[in-house]
Amino acid sequence: MRRFEYHEPASLDEASALLVRHGADASLLAGGTDLLVEIKEHLRWPQHVVNVKKIPGLAALEYDERNGLRFGALVTARAIETAAVVRARYAGLAQAARELGSIQVRHRATVVGNICRASPSADTLPPLIADGASVRIHGPAGGRTVALEDFFTGPGRTVLAPGELVTEVVVPPPAPRTGKHYIKHGRRKAMELATVGVAVALTLERDACRDIRIALGAVAPTPIRARAAEAALRGRALDGGTIAAAARTAMGECRPISNVRGSAEYRREMVGVLVARAIERAREGAG
Amino acid sequence: MSRVGSSIVGTSVKRTDVIGKVTGTARYAGDVKLAGMLHGKMKRSTIAHANIRRIDASRALALPGVKAVLTHENVPRVLHYGAPHPRSISVTCDQYILDRKVRYWGEGVAAVAATSEEIAEEALDLIEVEYEPLPAVFTVEAAQAPGAPQIHETAYAGNVLFKPVVVTRGDVAQGFAEADLVIEGEYETGRPTPAYMEPNVCVCQWDNTGKLTVWVSTQAAFMVRGILAEVLGLPLTRVRVLVDHMGGGFGAKQDLFQHEFLCALLAKETRHPVRMEYTRGETFVGGRSRHPCKIWLKQGFKRDGTIVAREARTVFDSGAYGSHGPGVTIVGTTALTSLYRCENVRLEGRCVYTNAPIAGAFRGYGVVQTYYALDIQMDEAAERLGMDPVELKLKNAVREGDMAPSDHPLVGHGLEDCIRRGAAEVGWAALRQRPREQAGTLRRGWGMGCEMHGSSAYPGIKEQGNAIVKMNEDGTAVLLTGAAGLGTGAHTALAQIVAEELGLAFDAVSVVHGDTDIVPWDIGAFASHTTFMVGRAAQMAAAEVKRQLLQRAGEQLEVAAEDLEVRDGVIAVRGVAGRRITVRECMGPKLGIPAANLVGNGTYTPTKSYSFAAHFVEVQVDIATGQIDVLQVIPVHEVGKVVHPIAAAGQIEGGIQQGIGHTLTEDYVIDPATGRSLNAGFVDYKMPLSLDMPPIRTILLETAPDPGGPYGAKGIGEDPIIAIGPAIANAVHDAIGVRFRHFPITPEQVLAALKEKAGAAA
Amino acid sequence: MKRIVEVTINGERHELALEPYRSLLDVLRNDVGLTGTKKGCDVGDCGACTVLLDGKPVNSCLVLGVEVGGSEILTIEGLQRGPERLHPLQDAFMRHGAAQCGFCTPGFLMMASALLDENPAPTEEEIRFGIAGNICRCTGYTKIVAAIQAAARDKAEGKA
Ligand code: FES
Ligand code: FES
Repeated sequence: MRRFEYHEPASLDEASALLVRHGADASLLAGGTDLLVEIKEHLRWPQHVVNVKKIPGLAALEYDERNGLRFGALVTARAIETAAVVRARYAGLAQAARELGSIQVRHRATVVGNICRASPSADTLPPLIADGASVRIHGPAGGRTVALEDFFTGPGRTVLAPGELVTEVVVPPPAPRTGKHYIKHGRRKAMELATVGVAVALTLERDACRDIRIALGAVAPTPIRARAAEAALRGRALDGGTIAAAARTAMGECRPISNVRGSAEYRREMVGVLVARAIERAREGAG
Repeated sequence: MSRVGSSIVGTSVKRTDVIGKVTGTARYAGDVKLAGMLHGKMKRSTIAHANIRRIDASRALALPGVKAVLTHENVPRVLHYGAPHPRSISVTCDQYILDRKVRYWGEGVAAVAATSEEIAEEALDLIEVEYEPLPAVFTVEAAQAPGAPQIHETAYAGNVLFKPVVVTRGDVAQGFAEADLVIEGEYETGRPTPAYMEPNVCVCQWDNTGKLTVWVSTQAAFMVRGILAEVLGLPLTRVRVLVDHMGGGFGAKQDLFQHEFLCALLAKETRHPVRMEYTRGETFVGGRSRHPCKIWLKQGFKRDGTIVAREARTVFDSGAYGSHGPGVTIVGTTALTSLYRCENVRLEGRCVYTNAPIAGAFRGYGVVQTYYALDIQMDEAAERLGMDPVELKLKNAVREGDMAPSDHPLVGHGLEDCIRRGAAEVGWAALRQRPREQAGTLRRGWGMGCEMHGSSAYPGIKEQGNAIVKMNEDGTAVLLTGAAGLGTGAHTALAQIVAEELGLAFDAVSVVHGDTDIVPWDIGAFASHTTFMVGRAAQMAAAEVKRQLLQRAGEQLEVAAEDLEVRDGVIAVRGVAGRRITVRECMGPKLGIPAANLVGNGTYTPTKSYSFAAHFVEVQVDIATGQIDVLQVIPVHEVGKVVHPIAAAGQIEGGIQQGIGHTLTEDYVIDPATGRSLNAGFVDYKMPLSLDMPPIRTILLETAPDPGGPYGAKGIGEDPIIAIGPAIANAVHDAIGVRFRHFPITPEQVLAALKEKAGAAA
Repeated sequence: MKRIVEVTINGERHELALEPYRSLLDVLRNDVGLTGTKKGCDVGDCGACTVLLDGKPVNSCLVLGVEVGGSEILTIEGLQRGPERLHPLQDAFMRHGAAQCGFCTPGFLMMASALLDENPAPTEEEIRFGIAGNICRCTGYTKIVAAIQAAARDKAEGKA
């Protein structure tokens, strides 16, 4: 690894001050499963590493029927994956957490870290966006809340200003008859980076789709919503025809690139296949 | 030679080498830590083909903690073999420790020793290299085109490594003239890598007598000793190579990889021990892959399925250095004379330098590529002839007396036995008749593939296996062997053979290995030959000790040695109850008489034996995503004599993992424009993992023992990686009616092929 | 600047002076001299470096040494139950041929022991899911899965 200086701030303000002081030379360390890899692979060379694990109050995971799910910046993917309430109410998120790296990685990796790394293919982002999640941000100028779907500005880039850090994720409670599903597409059954990630959260009313959110990963510079596809289904019955039409629409909404993991054409085609599959599975979950 | 009721050979005894592995005490080269040890790192080129115009290490040397920097300007310039088999035709002599020229992206151009890894790494950035770019070629076509840049001056012609190999038997033109059906196809194979779990590593230390000691992860300790001595100008008494445990090699760790020389030189220059350990990325970039290969294959068939002619041209991409290019080309190409019998054959094989990563020896050595083509074409022929592929392959399977690729007659009917047994096991005939899924997106298919593979590198190399067996005065024995322990359980198998031959308990035999100053010379662990060749040498050495032992017992019992037999540690007079003495009593000191020094030496120069296999595979294809899953594998292997059933099955299961990877997901990819590595890591170099691997039901047959091996045993290391590939491709064809002639077969290609098929049908 | 870290490794307390940029894996191998934990990739992809950190399996290559102050670490060297008493998993790995070259073995054993602690009677699928982050290039996983199943049975039957 490359040499760096190491800090263990005891409060958010202290952390924020360190980030301001060292600017681009500083990197935040929570789980470390991305940061340490990036340092070792020479993608980043921070002079200062700021470990936030000693800051109190960032490790909670709570749920109540009114406010939904809240979890702090130190909550690991493994904790999300195994929390009964997440499995029951946020099936897409639980599935995405379950497919992130290995169990060893998930015991260290935090979901907030997964968010802040802002990789277009990050697993937890599509389901969180489909769930309508937002993030709480602490910074030199105080706190603010940003909807997760507005948080990303490009690969590895977010709206965070210098000195700001994400402290918490808030996810609204699901309405009755809501079903969710996440499909990660890769060549292997584990240890993959998604070539396409599709998350769907939908709510049924009688036989029609009252509301639906479709979020796509790895097919644009940031995770995106397939808004036109959603609009095509909102208020409509979900059947083979409407689902197929929406899936085709979603194909038109994504902007994939080609790389060693897959061509743009293939990714686009998979958006079509997987959006349809995810809607069907989410509908089954909605009961 | 083989004796009835053998009790140790054929039993899964507890592998002696494993206790250290499960407790964390087994020592690998990277575990060696010496006082004052420095850390070495290599700087690698960022261009695929260039002359080094200027290289400046002054800023690196100025970094505190940096103890030495080596560049082409201050290392000996000795042209040497990269894969130092003793002057064999299998390998090329085309390397320098560091050259003035780089021939692939990632080639080492300098090395640093520093007090910590971090400092060494930082120093690499401070070494300035100015390149004069040369045109680069990344395909065999480009490398052979007129005006292509010449990569090596030592090449046979242009970028062709060595004089292309041509094999002819019978009259091909005549054969094709008699054919009712002629099939011709082009086949192409990818660039999988061995991806052993232990990255390359070595530790070097010089003592004050000028002797170099090297701890290194290698399959061929004596080859490392020989080439280090040669290049560094040392007598063999001044180089000692130590290999205790090693974390896999799969063929590739027969080569030297630059760092062994650099590590030795850095240790010499700094007068400190130095460790050089590759990162995972470096094991890809600076490692060895399988040779990507293009195969043109044409066969003629009679209506009844008889093959009347076979013609093939193979072109192997060696990458930037020759390594095992000639050997792989010769073995892979000549393999096409066999497997399925044919009297009229014409084959041509060539090997070409490119500026791609270096290809080297890898389990299956050229045969993986050519049998992939051959077996798939057989499946296609069966379809066109309206025959069952099992029936067609059985009809043409090589058998007793047929000429093997090594030009000597085959023993037994191993291949036919494998095919028949596997077909019965899976109920092949019924499978062919089963109804096919129409609904949904999942389609299932069955396929089978065959292979044969030789134990030992004969006739390319006239190999030699050696062993020494010594008796201890308490009646136990020690085997000294130079064979490396790659993890195959070879040492256990050798100890089993010695115990069996000596009539001792398995626990009464210990194994000493891994020190070139102590153990007998060994050519290295490769070519599936350890059990076959070194096993036979061990058996001979044990037999020699036994002769001496019975001589001594005869004197003590006052009978002729010929009348004695030894079993379970007891020497008895044959047919006479009660006249017996334990081996311990026989060996031990008597009043005033010391224990005897009984030593047996065994040297064995084998030809070759062939092992056989047929793999039966079920796959499932998702026609919407193109994803292929292997659902189950039933591998049937004929190996002559199974020495250790669990270890044998373990070899097969591991080979199948690699073969599934080759066929479906693994491919080391370079940028076609720059030669830059694109997936040098385990995220994007995709080996099948625990969840991807199907159930494997291994069947071992002992129906064609080879008189050249101990108790009839033949090799098994390479076989399992060969048959699985065509079996999968044939199963995919069965599932979706698309014939793939390359690997890896990607989901994108499956979808494209399905569309093409639908378009053609419409 | 080095930091002083107090940590319990295999039941023994250690006080270590560590550079902040050293991974726990390097600390174990180089500073503590416990070389049983292996480095197969150094970036979290292979599981060879798996150790238990406060009972949880982690990739020690992705943990900084300075982060583990006050923690308990168990490595392969501490898995054994006594000088002559192997952990049931170690015994099962030997009997079932689950270790070939052995380079991946310590990581698999640590992962499997965490798995059995959490789920004493895992199904084959659960075992395969549990070890998905551990790469073995020698065995094809068949014998590793069989060994873990056997160890679970042995434990359940009180044999070990
Ligand atoms: S060495 Fe840590 S996961 Fe590979
Ligand atoms: S035993 Fe060699 S990598 Fe697993």
